[in-house]
Amino acid sequence: MQSRSVYEVFARKNRGEPLRHIGTVSAPDDELARVYAFSTYDEEKWFDMFVTPRDRLVEVFNRRDVIAAQEGA
Amino acid sequence: MSQTATTTTVRETAVHDLILVLADSKRLLGMRYAEWILGAPELETGIACASMAQDEWGHGRLLYALLKEVTDVDRLEHGREAHEYRNIEVLDHAPADWFDVVAINALVDQALTVQLEALTDSSYAPLKQRVAKLIEEERFHSAHGVAWLKRLAAAGDESRDRIRNAVTQTLAVTARWFGPDSDDARALVETGVAAAAGSALRQRYLDRVQPLLHLLGVDAAACANPDFAGFDPVARRTAGSAPDAATITRIRGDKNRMFLMD
Repeated sequence: MQSRSVYEVFARKNRGEPLRHIGTVSAPDDELARVYAFSTYDEEKWFDMFVTPRDRLVEVFNRRDVIAAQEGA
Repeated sequence: MSQTATTTTVRETAVHDLILVLADSKRLLGMRYAEWILGAPELETGIACASMAQDEWGHGRLLYALLKEVTDVDRLEHGREAHEYRNIEVLDHAPADWFDVVAINALVDQALTVQLEALTDSSYAPLKQRVAKLIEEERFHSAHGVAWLKRLAAAGDESRDRIRNAVTQTLAVTARWFGPDSDDARALVETGVAAAAGSALRQRYLDRVQPLLHLLGVDAAACANPDFAGFDPVARRTAGSAPDAATITRIRGDKNRMFLMD
């Protein structure tokens, strides 16, 4: 059985609201990621929901180094 | 006057027969999903089984409740003998393995959806008011089955053979389930209860699942004209067949009988 990837799940309750990160699922492909996200997070009545493989999130920047330096100081 | 009365009776009888077929099928389908909440190949698919079981049981209850004017719903849910159940035959026994579960998920769930879709504009208002919600709630069920079916078909020769065998067997029963063009089927269409029945609905179903069958090299045409010898068109199953004893004990809730309240 093929390997699985972590998918980040985003949703919003009402039209026009910002998308909110609501969790993750592990799945071998987009199709199963969709159904897993739907059934795992179906306790709310969402307006819409999206999944994306975690490794497809493009980092803009992070403050890891700054925070680490501050904590080390 | 008597003409009207007769028409109403024919229509009501046909509607009630159909509702019980749907309700029993959903009740048993929910149980088959629930059996795999634990022990499914991965955590997320177990959660999906729990979610689908919940949906099917909810739909079953809602459909049984539509019969409360004409029968004792409590008896329907908890007091019937095996031969009185009208579920689709492929749910009579627990699926042997995950391949069977996936075949049921992809094919039986879709068959029930196709049947419900024929009722979205029903002349029977209580059905018309409810079916859209049921279809909406189950739209991810067959998507789950289809995604798994594709995955199993792509996971090597042995896996592909096993899912093809499970699909071939399940499809034959599911296609036959739509029934012959019987008096009951005609009554449903002529009274406006259903937009289609019998062979027309079967063809609609086979067209719907065709891409899956093609993927596995399963021939849909072989199921277009089933052998209806011994088929009971009212119960929509082989006369004399019934769910097995273990299934009946669980579905009736025999172990919890002492907790049943009025």
